[in-house]
Amino acid sequence: MQNILVSLNEATRTVNSGSNKVTLLDNINFNVEEGEFISLMGPSGSGKSTLLNCIGMLDNFTGGGYTFLGEPVHSMKEKNRSKLYKEYIGFVFQAYHLIDELTVYENIETPLLYKNVKSSERKAMVADMLDRFNIVGKKDLFPIQLSGGQQQLVGIARALIGQPKLILADEPTGNLNSKQSEEIMELFAQLNKEGVTIIQATHSESNAAYGSRIINLLDGKIV
Amino acid sequence: MFKNYIKIALRNLWKNRTFTVLNVVGLTAAFGVAILLAMYAVFQLSFDRFHEHGDALYMVYSEDSTPNGVEANISKSEPFAAALKDEVAGVEKITRYVSTGVLLSQEDKQFGMSTAYVDPDFFNMFSFPIIKGDKTNPIASESSVVMTELATKRIFGDEEPIGQTVSILRDEQQVPFTVTAIVKDSPNTSSMGFDIVLNFKSQNEHAYARTIGRWDMENHEVYMQLAESVQPKQFEKSTTDFTQLHYKNEIDNAKRDGFQPNTDGLYRQLKLLPLADVRFANFNQGPVTVSRTMPYLVLGISTLILFIACVNFINMSIAKSAQRLREIGMRKTLGANKKQLFFQFWGESILVFLISIGLGILLAVFLLPYFQTLFKTQASLATLLNPSLLLVLILSVLLITLIAGGYPALLMSRLGTLQSLKGKLDVNGKNHLRNSLMVLQFGIAILLISGTLVLWDQVEFMRTKDLGFNKDQVIAFPLNGQLNDQQAIELLRNTLQDKPNIVSVTASNNILGLGKDGSRSTSVLGFEHQGRGVETHMVVVDADYIETLDLNIIEGRSFRKNLASDSLSVIINEAMAKQLNEDDILASQIDLDDAVYSVVGVIKDFNFQELDQNIAPMTLFALPNWNLRNAYVKVSSQNLEQAYTDVKAAWNTIEPNAEFQGSFLNENIDRTLRHERTMITMIGSGSILAIILSCIGLFAMSLLIVAQRKKEIGVRKIVGASVSAITILLTKDFLKLVVIAFLIASPIAWWAMHNWLQNYAYRIELNIWMFLGAGGIAVVIAMLTIAVKTIKAATSNPVESLRTE
Ligand SMILES: Nc1ncnc2c1ncn2[C@@H]1O[C@H](COP(=O)(O)OP(=O)(O)O)[C@@H](O)[C@H]1O
Ligand SMILES: [Mg+2]
Repeated sequence: MQNILVSLNEATRTVNSGSNKVTLLDNINFNVEEGEFISLMGPSGSGKSTLLNCIGMLDNFTGGGYTFLGEPVHSMKEKNRSKLYKEYIGFVFQAYHLIDELTVYENIETPLLYKNVKSSERKAMVADMLDRFNIVGKKDLFPIQLSGGQQQLVGIARALIGQPKLILADEPTGNLNSKQSEEIMELFAQLNKEGVTIIQATHSESNAAYGSRIINLLDGKIV
Repeated sequence: MFKNYIKIALRNLWKNRTFTVLNVVGLTAAFGVAILLAMYAVFQLSFDRFHEHGDALYMVYSEDSTPNGVEANISKSEPFAAALKDEVAGVEKITRYVSTGVLLSQEDKQFGMSTAYVDPDFFNMFSFPIIKGDKTNPIASESSVVMTELATKRIFGDEEPIGQTVSILRDEQQVPFTVTAIVKDSPNTSSMGFDIVLNFKSQNEHAYARTIGRWDMENHEVYMQLAESVQPKQFEKSTTDFTQLHYKNEIDNAKRDGFQPNTDGLYRQLKLLPLADVRFANFNQGPVTVSRTMPYLVLGISTLILFIACVNFINMSIAKSAQRLREIGMRKTLGANKKQLFFQFWGESILVFLISIGLGILLAVFLLPYFQTLFKTQASLATLLNPSLLLVLILSVLLITLIAGGYPALLMSRLGTLQSLKGKLDVNGKNHLRNSLMVLQFGIAILLISGTLVLWDQVEFMRTKDLGFNKDQVIAFPLNGQLNDQQAIELLRNTLQDKPNIVSVTASNNILGLGKDGSRSTSVLGFEHQGRGVETHMVVVDADYIETLDLNIIEGRSFRKNLASDSLSVIINEAMAKQLNEDDILASQIDLDDAVYSVVGVIKDFNFQELDQNIAPMTLFALPNWNLRNAYVKVSSQNLEQAYTDVKAAWNTIEPNAEFQGSFLNENIDRTLRHERTMITMIGSGSILAIILSCIGLFAMSLLIVAQRKKEIGVRKIVGASVSAITILLTKDFLKLVVIAFLIASPIAWWAMHNWLQNYAYRIELNIWMFLGAGGIAVVIAMLTIAVKTIKAATSNPVESLRTE
């Protein structure tokens, strides 16, 4: 039996918008096993990003239980949570969110800096990653000098550099053309084969098809 | 990690170069000026603090009850010092002290030397180390002279000075003195400046021999070293018997005349003034007050300027942080914690501060020579190089960077991850801070500007006030040559008599204003009149004094041309007449110990002292063969320069070896205002810098606001807003801040200036225009600053501004 990576039990998120209480996520129940590739689907506004952010610990559920690798995230202190998150989770965004002032090389290197990886080790790891994504020649360029697809490659490389167990990708191909999208999805499939667990949010049926399982959301509920 | 921070910091600074430059320029100017001002203040405060026994050294003065209330008296009599040491416990060492100028000759060369006449204990009390010669008691003999290194160099060059003989002009004779020791040049923070030191008893007849054993002739200062076990207050108390014994007459008379006793109920009390306080003490207005307001004010200005520059930095950092939200959010998702983010942003601030401080130090070094000339100070950056002071400086720089750089860094590091990733920033709260800081900035600027305006008004008032004598046409100079004063005046009269541009020549033992030689003296005379004690300033004059100075006689007559026939006549001023309180003032006489003098005339009061004092009673004497000290020459009003040259030439032929130190009386008056002028220049340049810095901040804010509201401006224009409507929209928020600043600062400025003006007996009335003027200046400058950017934004093509969105 595979290890359970993420386990959501009646996970809920509500916010107060003015005097109204708005439920963004409504009693979500599902488990993610190690090695899965899950596609979250649903129309715009259905809560995909919210769910990814909560799983990624950028945001919190306001109710229910969330267990990550057997540890209860919902009752954890901020500090431990960020340790867990630094160790195991990598993020890929629709808008890439690279740091404009840093080169490709430096962008990829940054997570290692926050993990206090030694300089020599860092060099080797970043070099590996550049090699693997075929962007060695672009390592000294700044993000604005790259195409969207290339920027997303860097974004993924950066998410992977910390060797996370789980990659959360929020519409990673939303800003890309279909050819670029295909390349990125191929890359995800490849990574998944190598053992990385992936949860992606998408509206595209064809992208969703790369996944091993599809979860449909509507108005914050699994349908 | 560190490298990464530096890298990103530099790139960020480069990317926002406009703001970086504005910040660095502002902070550099502020640090540069703050360093200079702090240096000046520290220099002033460190005066006379180099003496090893400094904490135990005091000037002895007394609080005397006089007709004008309690007055501080620092002059002591010949027997005083020795008697005090003998009769009161606690006097470790004591010395009398007179500072004056003498004419010293060596072979055929002559030198004007500033001289200290002291008792032998002097060198054991004060730290003026002897580097050569008799180190134990160099002025034991009355024919010994001690010289500074510098004076030795001037007189002897490289020759061996010890044992050499020089002669000093005394009572019209050349008296030989032997050089017994060389003393190190005194540090430039010494109030006691001298070229040579002589035994107190080596003074001329008039100053010393005549006064031996006389308790009523007070003509020098006394300094003492207090025994370690004794507290100054305790010592002051223990002198009561001494005072009762030696000043019995004075005390009885004061009681009889109903004078006001001092706060301890005593009519005469000895007091100790710590040496370091002497320079900051005011002896002219009642009991001694010690005030270090000036150096602290200067320190205050430097702090305010730094504050203004830091406010700019804080405001710009916070405003710019909106543009870095994504970076902040991203770093957080990549695993950065608050601490790491804080240190990153703080590090960037430190970088800016380090650059600015470095440049500021360079700026200070560059400006130093100008600063020294402008403020006539010897303060140098070395003043700040003392370990404890450096520590304070470094700590304050750290504190400034911690607050100015740390506060924005803290705000940024605290932002929520998702919120910042989305690029949303809740700015409402921060605008309050920004607005309050800007109000404070402009408030400070307005405070300083109005201070400058009021100060300037007061100084102009004092400079141009009719003082009651002719200050425009009269040249005064010290009789600093070899001839005795009467001979010198006689020769001067003869030489100048036929010159058409010379009106008259006279002399007196006092100087009006402050002469080029910087020396002044006053003599106050106390005597009994109709059974009451009265006091008057005593001025001894030569013929034509009243005519030369254009003083107005309101009763009686002036002195006769033949002055000898008036040797028992006096002319008094109105204040003195009032004090004598006679029905027929011209029939009255004043009875001094040596003779009875008749009042022959009354002159209108004129300001023979500075304008911080009311006109005191004064009596003019025409005593023969008196020590007259200063010549006064009235010249015709055409071509004053030529007249000055003529007088100078005449003096040079009469005294070829003496320097001509003449100046017009209005220059002398100007010289007395030096302190005020220094203050004006300091506060004035402070206020200019303050307003420039505030405007740099304002300019930066207007840049940011215009950038942020670009789209809004475009839309408004498309729906028909006019250029002026948009300019007003963008400008009014800032102008509101300046107006609030004005409303807050003006009453404070009013209060401060009102208090300051109380120092002057003659002062201007504060009026609302000085403050409105300061506020107006601030508003206009602020408006011009914002106008540059806002009008450009308001006139730009709206389509363009929308397209770039
Ligand atoms: N902090 C919030 N406060 C109120 N409503 C929110 C907040 N965050 C998200 N929402 C709303 O929740 C819904 C789900 O948003 P999101 O998760 O971004 O959907 P998706 O990514 O599926 O398009 C949207 O209607 C959005 O407006
Ligand atoms: Mg979404």
